[in-house]
Amino acid sequence: MAISVIGEFKDPTELLKAAKQTRKAGYEAFDAHSPFPIHGMDDAMGLKGSILGWVVLCGGLTGCVAGFGLQAWVATEAYPLVISGKPLFSYQAFVPVTFEVTVLFSAFAAVFGMFGLNKLPQLYNRLFKHKSFSKKATSHGFFISIDSELSDDEVSIVEFLKSIGATNVSGVKE
Amino acid sequence: MAEVNKLNGFLEKRFPKIALVVGIIGICGAIILGREDSTQFFYSYLVSYLFFLTISLGALFFVIIQHLTRAGWSVGLRRIPEHLMANLSLMAVLFIPILLGLHDLYHWSDTAEVLHDALLLKKAPFLNVPFFIVRAVLYFASWIWLARFFFKNSTDQDKSGDKGLTLSMQKVSAVAILIYALTQTFSAIDWIMSLTPHWFSTMIGVYIFAGGILTSICTISLIALLLRRFGYLRETINVEHYHDLGKLIFGFVIFWAYIGFSQYFLIWYANIPEETEWYLHHISGNWNTFAIFIIVFHFVVPFFLFASRHAKRNLKLHTGVVLLLITMHFFELYWVVMPNFSHHGIHVSSLDFLCFLGIFGIYTSVLFFRMGKFSLYPLKDPRLKESQDFINH
Repeated sequence: MAISVIGEFKDPTELLKAAKQTRKAGYEAFDAHSPFPIHGMDDAMGLKGSILGWVVLCGGLTGCVAGFGLQAWVATEAYPLVISGKPLFSYQAFVPVTFEVTVLFSAFAAVFGMFGLNKLPQLYNRLFKHKSFSKKATSHGFFISIDSELSDDEVSIVEFLKSIGATNVSGVKE
Repeated sequence: MAEVNKLNGFLEKRFPKIALVVGIIGICGAIILGREDSTQFFYSYLVSYLFFLTISLGALFFVIIQHLTRAGWSVGLRRIPEHLMANLSLMAVLFIPILLGLHDLYHWSDTAEVLHDALLLKKAPFLNVPFFIVRAVLYFASWIWLARFFFKNSTDQDKSGDKGLTLSMQKVSAVAILIYALTQTFSAIDWIMSLTPHWFSTMIGVYIFAGGILTSICTISLIALLLRRFGYLRETINVEHYHDLGKLIFGFVIFWAYIGFSQYFLIWYANIPEETEWYLHHISGNWNTFAIFIIVFHFVVPFFLFASRHAKRNLKLHTGVVLLLITMHFFELYWVVMPNFSHHGIHVSSLDFLCFLGIFGIYTSVLFFRMGKFSLYPLKDPRLKESQDFINH
């Protein structure tokens, strides 16, 4: 049965130090929780750069092609109308809408890509069962949680978190 | 932090002198060759003049906006735009040749011709030589006053460390931005739009501004990178600051394209002869190819190169993009000004190079000569530490 062990730390500096030590100790399935972003946490946890930028680029290019394509098709094939004596394929006139659709698709890709990469929305997470965590994690608490597939690991993980200075250490099960 | 705050060695002593010699050779060469074709000379001169003027003006805007927004991140690099804007006094002197070439550049200045031209007759109350000169004096007076004010307060603070100077600069910055917006816009109308006096565009001011501020930020970055190469400001201006300059450059690349297209788009849509005339000249012959070249290398290429965070933080790539954009700004101004002279296509003249070399030499010489006399960054600005500790998320 999968478990998570949670330990609380005093402040961002302690959390940063703890994240480094956790990583050094060889744990891979762990996370640091803080009410606000902490400089250097990505490096401390050994996180790679997000691929969100590429997702947004793909979204933007799709929007660009879709916006331009739709207008070109409508203006020349589906509903050809001569407007103020200009050619049917007046690409100049398509630019504003192409631009807007590019921005729209990029924004959608950014928001929903972020949701996807963060596995949101998540209505339930076993970490919420931890009393201190559910009270403080979004306001003034700093936590590290380490996951394991084997509940037998609980004791050793608790020992480890205590050894790096965590308080309120306890494991939560599914 | 032990950071060298004074230029010394080559950049302080020899470089300004070499630049000055290059500048004098350029100007003298241009004057000698220009005697045969004065119109070509004045057009070539105007392009190069506008190139450096827009950089200095952009720098003035940059400094004003930093004070207006009470920016902390930029304090460490603020001395560079301060030096660039201080060159506005030099630009006032370099404006004299344009006054001498009024009749070659602006055909509305010819009273006999105006009498036969109904449109120009209507515009004569604004477009006449005395008022043109009065306006030019007014622009330079306000720019030099603003530049001196911000430069003096900032450098005085190096000695006294008086925090009140920061406050007084913040106070003036609000009025300054208003004065800047008006003078910048009207100077673009006077010196660029009136090259084609029948034509009008309400966007020309902001269009020239967009190119200028973009190039100015690129120049700030380039000078910082140059100083870095020589071992200066390696800590005060670190990769975080280049990243932020990169973000501004990226934003203004888009802004420039947005403004440039908006100007074109409205004129294209309305299709009124007085307005389309301008674009007709600017896309006839190989000017059309040149225009496409500008769109690609002033917008498309830098847009994709600089979209990524890694690109902005990679100083080699950063240098490349910045150089590309500065070059493209020159080409853009060339495209804006030159078709009024060589109507049917690009006509490269040796005067284009000589004028550029001349102004470039004098401009850089004065710039580095002044840089050698002051600290390289605002030593005692109350927000210097905030700037040095600044980190991007």
